[in-house]
Amino acid sequence: MEKFSKEMLRKLANQVMFDLNDQECEELQEEFETYLKQLELLNKIDTEHVEEMVYPFEAPTSFIRNDDEVYAISQEDAMKNVPQASENYVVVPKVVK
Amino acid sequence: MKIQEFTKDVEKNVGRCAALSEKAQKKLNAIVTFIDHSEQIEAVKKMDPSLPLYGVPIAIKDNFNTKGIRTTASSRILDNYVPIYDATVIKKLKDAGAILFAKTSMDELGMGGTNLNAYTGKVNNPYDVSRISGGSSGGSAALVAEGVVPVAMGTDTGDSIRKPAAYCGVVGFKPTYGRISRYGVIPYASSLDHVGFFTTCIEDAARMLEVCAGRDDHDMTSSYEKVEEYEKNLNSDIRGKKIAILENVMNSIEDQRIVDNFNEVILKLEKRGAIVERVSMDETLLQTLLPVYLIIANAEACANHSNLDGVRFGMREDGNDLEEIMINSRTKGFSSAVRKRFVLGSYSLFVENQEKLFRKAQKVRRVIVDEYRKILEKYDCVIASAAPTIAPHPEDSVGEKMSDTYLVAENFMILGNMSGYPSLTLPSGFVEGLPIGINVTAKAFDEQNLLNICKAIEEETGLENHTAGGSYEL
Amino acid sequence: MNFETIIGIEIHCELKTHTKMFSQGPVSFGESANSCVNEIDLGMPGTLPCLNKHAVELALRACMGTHCDIDPLVKFDRKNYYYSDLPKGFQITQQFHPIGKNGYIEISTETGTKKIRLNRIHMEEDTAKQFHTNFGTLIDFNRAGTPLIEIVSEPDIRSGKEAAAYVEELRNMLYYLGVSDCRMEEGSMRCDVNISLRPEGSEIFGTKTEIKNLNSISNVQKAVDYEVERQTRLLLSGEKVEQETRRFDEATKTTVLMRKKEGNVDYKFFPEPNIFPIQLDEAWIEQIRATQPQLPSQRKEKYMQEYGLSEYDANTLTQTKELSDFYDEVVKHTKEYKLASNWCMVELMAVLNKENISFDDNPCSPVYLAEMIEMVSKGEISSKQAKVVFEEIMKGKDPKKVVEEKGMKQISDPNEILKLVTQVLDANAQAILDFKNGKGRAAGALVGQVMKLSKGQANPKLANQILNEELKKR
Repeated sequence: MEKFSKEMLRKLANQVMFDLNDQECEELQEEFETYLKQLELLNKIDTEHVEEMVYPFEAPTSFIRNDDEVYAISQEDAMKNVPQASENYVVVPKVVK
Repeated sequence: MKIQEFTKDVEKNVGRCAALSEKAQKKLNAIVTFIDHSEQIEAVKKMDPSLPLYGVPIAIKDNFNTKGIRTTASSRILDNYVPIYDATVIKKLKDAGAILFAKTSMDELGMGGTNLNAYTGKVNNPYDVSRISGGSSGGSAALVAEGVVPVAMGTDTGDSIRKPAAYCGVVGFKPTYGRISRYGVIPYASSLDHVGFFTTCIEDAARMLEVCAGRDDHDMTSSYEKVEEYEKNLNSDIRGKKIAILENVMNSIEDQRIVDNFNEVILKLEKRGAIVERVSMDETLLQTLLPVYLIIANAEACANHSNLDGVRFGMREDGNDLEEIMINSRTKGFSSAVRKRFVLGSYSLFVENQEKLFRKAQKVRRVIVDEYRKILEKYDCVIASAAPTIAPHPEDSVGEKMSDTYLVAENFMILGNMSGYPSLTLPSGFVEGLPIGINVTAKAFDEQNLLNICKAIEEETGLENHTAGGSYEL
Repeated sequence: MNFETIIGIEIHCELKTHTKMFSQGPVSFGESANSCVNEIDLGMPGTLPCLNKHAVELALRACMGTHCDIDPLVKFDRKNYYYSDLPKGFQITQQFHPIGKNGYIEISTETGTKKIRLNRIHMEEDTAKQFHTNFGTLIDFNRAGTPLIEIVSEPDIRSGKEAAAYVEELRNMLYYLGVSDCRMEEGSMRCDVNISLRPEGSEIFGTKTEIKNLNSISNVQKAVDYEVERQTRLLLSGEKVEQETRRFDEATKTTVLMRKKEGNVDYKFFPEPNIFPIQLDEAWIEQIRATQPQLPSQRKEKYMQEYGLSEYDANTLTQTKELSDFYDEVVKHTKEYKLASNWCMVELMAVLNKENISFDDNPCSPVYLAEMIEMVSKGEISSKQAKVVFEEIMKGKDPKKVVEEKGMKQISDPNEILKLVTQVLDANAQAILDFKNGKGRAAGALVGQVMKLSKGQANPKLANQILNEELKKR
């Protein structure tokens, strides 16, 4: 399998919106080694014709919520934890998509 | 300390626990946020004294949303987060007359098995403060073990209730997946997360299950299975019960004292008329438990915590643009351990990796669960020592690293999370003055049977209501 | 060199529900910022999704209207990306198992009816609304979580005109089915168009550009026309079309570059662990199918074939769903289809348009209108009287009472009318003479006198008939 350069690990981290410092990168390089070693264990298990197990129990449910009951919180509650707000809007620096 | 002791004189009892907690905090460092009880006490006084948890102070792991009470999940990024809603199970506790006692320390976002990775630092083991409590529900385990509160809530994704229960010498119970609503509980990995609790005895565990269990329409994965009268139906007669010892686990434990303790208990169960047999699973398959778990859990966790971005709540760090704000908030907000796990999780979800990592892990999960199910089809429960060692010192703890030693004995309890089966750890004795425990797992929704067998074990160990504390001057 | 234009269209359409896709938060438009949200819509820690049944019903209706194969096992997936308008850091969508597949709709083109195939219809949730100002981006989460369906066409569309026809046909259909308001200008229906060119006869697709967020049908056509012209120009001059996202600029009627596509973004899709697969009840699906509102084309056919209306009338009645619905209500109570269509199309619309009243506030009861039409057809009141009665119906009055109060009953009894005719003839000897001398007009004047004598209540047709008979006798 591929080697994990620091540069690549940083890129991976940035994609999920955080940084890693040098030391963290080095530790992660080691952990990736262990990770890949453990993956070899997985490859010993024959999973041909085996479906992915996404949920502990797989009998499908039939419950779906009716559309009649409305529940909203107060504007005050909605804004209570907001780090930066203006006139009941949440504010971030100008973004252009 | 049992629930029964709290049925009257709410003010005095809770006051006593509160005084205890301040002393215990210095010893254990188990509490993240203390809660003012006065309003709750007044509210409870107006309630029906026959309620199952009337006046009972319950410590809450800090990943349960508690309305108006700071909830951090022991992560810096949520250091200032005050929920505007209660988790479903918190509502149920309140309705049953409980007092929310304190928010307890955990491994950050549940990610860890030592409680060393908490924003507020290590939680100390009540029996030897130099040792760890285990995690991730370490604060809850330690407070119950110390005798500060009779009950504490926890969550269990790998063994996060059942391992600290073993290290701290209390009952730790994770019922079937879907038995207790997860709504309002800050997740780790949604397909593995279970809500559960710590008590000092099986009777209390039965009562707690009755209060907490039940269908919740806010959690689409919660079950419609009938909630039984677990406490009333508790019956320690285990004649004819078929018990399977998971041999792979017992064979890989090096500490003979732990094995001897286990065998002693087993002998007693046989004397009671239980049919005990040794079973084993494919060793290679068991060795994949940890990697399979890590791949699934890290991937789900990375996505689950994408909402922690500093935009709508939590600690926002400055930045010139949105991306900088998010990156700075999340870099500073998460510990390195968590960030590293997120990278591993994200990596296994990339299109080019998903087949050989994430999906492969999900497939192996099925193979593992299929084999485990086959055992439980023939037996009432599967049993083994909950941990291969007593609570280690921080430097000896292996939980933080992806060590390839102890792949089986340290990690077999993950079977309960992968399968969703109900699983309980209870104390079985002491080694070097530190508690050790036994883990019992039963079929899905067979909690009554599980509790009955554990009640029999408890009667044999005589460790009902055993705590470490009691040495404080109040 | 001649080029063939290849167009595929993706349409996002907000479903007409009371609450959001995965929460009980109210669906709203134009409300105060962040006033229509709850903890789920804000992506607060610990929240879980809970699927809206009505949203599923509307998605099913869309699938049925577009001849899609329906997957009765509903599953959801996570689409992971970070953005300030996406509270959870992932969107819950149906990447792997869309609810509808392999559908088609028919559009009218100059050369006849053309089938446009649909690749899929899937359910997902909307993002928050953002306003970009000089001091920052303002985020309103009211829209976050609003139920959406995305309808993806196959690249079967060949011109701007066809693109417009496709969007119009879909809009009409979804609107008629009650699936959505389809207000493009308010963003409840949003349209992204993918365009590429290839040399005529070629089988290989050229590089495509995507034009995002077209907000009217005429802009769909204009944008496509311009983009085709632009790409043609590039290709003819030997340049390459770059894969990029563009937007339509209303002022210049051109498309403008938004961003280049740098490879494909990996959204790391994986199955949503918090929503178990949901098995839809076949009986429920069939019940939805049985109550599917009729589409414009079906209604037109019914109006012409069953009701004998002209094509013009059928077209006019089905121009809006409201008028057609109203007409359908009216003809539940009268078989005078033609008369009813005249009253709905002409008189009713005239008043509504003049007073600027929307159909939601239409005061006219279809039952009353039908009763009035019956009176006219039976000759109980004259058409002229009917106009007066109609004015009162528009004030909410019962036509029977109006007729009674105003003493409007038409005289349709031949004996009564004969009496009046005799009276008039007896008093007008000269007019009779004139008539006999060939002055046809004289009869008209005499009818007028009969009507006058009856205070307008005589049935004019009958009066005319009897008068002519009596004249001949004299």
